[in-house]
Amino acid sequence: MASERYSFSLTTFSPSGKLVQIEYALQAVAAGAPSVGIMASNGVVLATENKHKSYLYDEHSVNRVEMITGHIGMVYSGMGPDYRLLVKQARKMAQSYYLTYKEPIPVAQLVQRVANLMQEFTQSGGVRPFGVSLLICGWDNNRPYLFQCDPSGAYFAWKATAMGKNSINGKTFLEKRYNEDLELDDAVHTAILTLKEGFEGKMTPDNIEVGICDENGFRRLDPSSINDYLVNI
Amino acid sequence: MSILAYNGGCVVAMRGKDCVAIATDHRFGVQGQTIDTNFQKVFQINPQMFLGLVGLQTDILTVKDRLAFRKNLYEVRENREMTPERFAAMLSSFLYERRFGPYFVEPVVAGLDPKTSKPFICNMDLIGCPNAPDDFVVAGTCAEQLYGMCETLWKPDLEPEQLFEVIAQSMINAFDRDAISGWGATVYIIEKDKITVKTLKTRMD
Amino acid sequence: MISAENFPEYNVPGVVKHDFHPYESNGGSVVAIAGDDYAVIAADTRLSSGYSIHTRKQNKLFKLSGTTVLGSTGCWCDTLALTSLISARMKMYHYLHQKVMPTNAISQMLSIIMYHKRFFPYYVSNILAGLDADGKGVVYSYDPIGHCELASYRAGGSAGALLQPVLDNQIGLKNQENVAKDPIPKEKAISVIVDTFISAAERDIYTGDGVIINVITKDGIETRNVSLRKD
Repeated sequence: MASERYSFSLTTFSPSGKLVQIEYALQAVAAGAPSVGIMASNGVVLATENKHKSYLYDEHSVNRVEMITGHIGMVYSGMGPDYRLLVKQARKMAQSYYLTYKEPIPVAQLVQRVANLMQEFTQSGGVRPFGVSLLICGWDNNRPYLFQCDPSGAYFAWKATAMGKNSINGKTFLEKRYNEDLELDDAVHTAILTLKEGFEGKMTPDNIEVGICDENGFRRLDPSSINDYLVNI
Repeated sequence: MSILAYNGGCVVAMRGKDCVAIATDHRFGVQGQTIDTNFQKVFQINPQMFLGLVGLQTDILTVKDRLAFRKNLYEVRENREMTPERFAAMLSSFLYERRFGPYFVEPVVAGLDPKTSKPFICNMDLIGCPNAPDDFVVAGTCAEQLYGMCETLWKPDLEPEQLFEVIAQSMINAFDRDAISGWGATVYIIEKDKITVKTLKTRMD
Repeated sequence: MISAENFPEYNVPGVVKHDFHPYESNGGSVVAIAGDDYAVIAADTRLSSGYSIHTRKQNKLFKLSGTTVLGSTGCWCDTLALTSLISARMKMYHYLHQKVMPTNAISQMLSIIMYHKRFFPYYVSNILAGLDADGKGVVYSYDPIGHCELASYRAGGSAGALLQPVLDNQIGLKNQENVAKDPIPKEKAISVIVDTFISAAERDIYTGDGVIINVITKDGIETRNVSLRKD
């Protein structure tokens, strides 16, 4: 067939030097549910919207904020199923690092390895890029870390950032609100406020998720503690 | 005869007060025949960390090279120096990868943590079962003799000079009762700000 | 070769075959040191087999005469057979020559008795300590088939490899520079022996519980007991 002459991998450069598949993937991210990450002086927080299409959903059985290993957590904007695969791989990477060196994986190492995996999916045959951007937070070296990982395999270290729908407004909001001496409690508060920018409808403990990480490790906040923050807004 | 005793040789490491020592003999032989009398089985891995390997000589060299490869990769990837604990853990998993076709080596790791200067010693069997006690570790064809010597001479909190005497006497008197170890010895005393290397002359038979 | 295995049709069902293992290793260590006017010999008191301990109070030193003590470890039943044969032979010597067998004669006889079983040996590690005709301390060590060596100090048994280099260093003063090679005083010899046993008990599971020390001098044989770790 004549058309097969041009059916290379989906990730072939366009004549202008772009990988359009990656750009499409970024669009999938931009259309995804918003998520926010903020680094505080004594920890780091991840927050995201978890809206359900119907009242009939059981809200707290599928989570968007996931623990990777004791001191690292992750959230995403974009396609849920792609995220599950990355969570699974990231957990494996963390465990295999621990088995080799008997030391918990440094956050930067995990991010590098996850980013490397995402890059492979932009250059391998028969696959497509991941339709997600990740926010990976963690604690090691006695300090918090916050990274973003994109479908291209690019990764960034942030003090605070927002992704997904309304991310531009979210970032503008954070630029105004952020300062370096923020305590973790205030950071959770700010994260929720950032989500609230452009949140459609009423915010409840059932339609947002928050994860925090400090020297004691990573944990997802339960709805009742999220509610404590919400009543203070 | 065991493959581990094909070439002969021994290594011992000891902990002192804020220091560690590791010593090696110099013999490389093929069963009873001595080939080389200056084959040292201790290698410097990092400024403050040494690795001793006894067993089959070809595997000693291979394991040393492959570990250096992995360690260098780790250090450029993570942009930090590898600690002895991490190195021992990596060595352990490296050896266990060959669980059913092992490298015929028994390793000994000795060093100070590059940041905290905490002393660390460790030895393993040929498939990587680690053992990190707070006194001393031995390996080689005269391990039993070394255990007897170290158990008698070693005591806690030895200063570097005393530690040298203890490890040197343990090593020499142990390998003098082993036909396939000996022919001189080298002792490394690792302290926070200096490393002392001493070569010992011994009986050559 | 013709054997029952080649004729499976003649095998009787239900028959269990057993191999014969004539030897057992019951562990134990012996150390002896000879001085100018004394000999010290010591053995631990643990008797074991594999991972189990038969007794913690087994004396492994045999007083053969007023000036000779044999320390024997290895296969305990062989030790018993050997020592009873030795004492019988010593009685015969006594009756024949009308005198107690001297240490050097015992050492030679022991070698011959052992070599008599060259092809089914006594599985024992022997060390003989005593005073010679001049009252000087002597130590003889043996291999299982009767090779005999006169020494001034010796370690044998399950922890022999651990103990011997310590004796080389502490008693033989090997590899030590600038030390006076003075004769070893009796009490020093005893304290080194105790130290070596403490070390051996740390690392050898077949050595422990206690040490019985026989100090042989012209005044007789003095027995001392020291306890060791019991795990």
